[in-house]
Amino acid sequence: MKEIKIQQPTPKPGVCIEWEQKRKELPPIQGDEELFKRIWENNEALAYMYIWQVLLSF
Amino acid sequence: MPMTQDNEQLYQQRLKRYVTAMRNEKPDKIPIRPFVAEFTAKYAGYNCQQVAHDYTMAFEAAVQCARDFDWDAVVANMVYVWTGLSQAIGLKYYATPGLEIPVDTGFQYREPPEKNAFMKPNEYDALAADPTGFLYNVWLPRASNDVVEIGSPSTYRNNLSFLKGGMAMLSYFTAFGPQIQRLQNECGTVSAIAGIFKAPFDILADKLRGYIGLTMDLFERPEKVLKACEALMPHLLHVALSGADPDKNVPIGFWMHRGCTPFINQEQFDNLYWPTLKPIIQEIWRNGHQVLFYAEGKWMRHLDAFLELPERSIVFHCDHDDIFEVHKKIGHKFAISGGIPNFLLAYETPDKVRAFCKKVIDEVACDGGYIMDASAIMQNEISIENIKAMTEFTREYGVY
Repeated sequence: MKEIKIQQPTPKPGVCIEWEQKRKELPPIQGDEELFKRIWENNEALAYMYIWQVLLSF
Repeated sequence: MPMTQDNEQLYQQRLKRYVTAMRNEKPDKIPIRPFVAEFTAKYAGYNCQQVAHDYTMAFEAAVQCARDFDWDAVVANMVYVWTGLSQAIGLKYYATPGLEIPVDTGFQYREPPEKNAFMKPNEYDALAADPTGFLYNVWLPRASNDVVEIGSPSTYRNNLSFLKGGMAMLSYFTAFGPQIQRLQNECGTVSAIAGIFKAPFDILADKLRGYIGLTMDLFERPEKVLKACEALMPHLLHVALSGADPDKNVPIGFWMHRGCTPFINQEQFDNLYWPTLKPIIQEIWRNGHQVLFYAEGKWMRHLDAFLELPERSIVFHCDHDDIFEVHKKIGHKFAISGGIPNFLLAYETPDKVRAFCKKVIDEVACDGGYIMDASAIMQNEISIENIKAMTEFTREYGVY
């Protein structure tokens, strides 16, 4: 049997739009960039989960 | 309601019993974990429409059953598809009790005909390139009556689908926490599973290409099917782990649909279904979670493949297979659940139910590693008397 490895795709699982892409659209960030990234990804996780749960559960 | 000392003690006993059996060890008694769906409605005095369309009624019915039956674990709501949510999104593929089907028939999934499949045969590359984007941009507009396709003028219904769908899903999922707590506090009952998983192949068959379309693709473009399955793997793993039990007690539910022969042939199982499933199960186990293989149909011809998995990494739920043969084949490595035929529980006598349970207890559960349950999810045709017989007999006779 062929061994298949689980890939690490882009965008990564858990987000629809990666922070790195969004970052390019923003003005120069002052203060805490990690905070912007964390909140962006937390909200992305909700959008990601929405579509995958519709697919799997409903 | 705060938990009483009795219920706390009961809960801890049941949790230990259930987890011990799932780890293929011998607990104090055989755990009982019936997957009761529309049966809960019948018992609690609701109809199928009520428990499908108002999840608070489904939750109430589940609690009533857990309170009245001496069950170790139940699913917090086995009538899992809340049709209120599918309606909010505008999903086309469900028949809802009271709309497309009678009030007292359980909700149904309706696979579209091949020509109306939600994914076309020439779209495998687009799916593989970005599965999440494909689902939002291509799949959902086809699967929903309200979501419009990319490039078309937006509509009021389109916007409402996302807002209502998102809010409704949040409302539903956040209600599970209190429901699980209620089962624990009021009934001392364990929530049986956490998280959801399906095989990449089944995702293609169930919701994207349809079974007929996919079987044609397996002959006409097998390499594209494999690539798409590979692309789905990390996402299905991510979703499974996201919903898993943080305490690593109860398993992730894996709903196995059409990956077995004769839905596909052995070569397709060996070259496509299993190679894109096995690494995910291994990775889930590396993360410390068991997977409940809810093996709908007959999987006997694939048990050798499942034996390649690490010991105790799965619990095998037996549907139409011969549970005695399954036990002989894999019982040394994995716990087994189910195997009590639904037909027996629906239409035969309590004596016949007790006799079959005795045979399963004697031959399958004798060394532990067995969880009592029906073969398949129990709907409203199941007899209340027979469920009482199964429960009471197991409690009486199923003591180690």
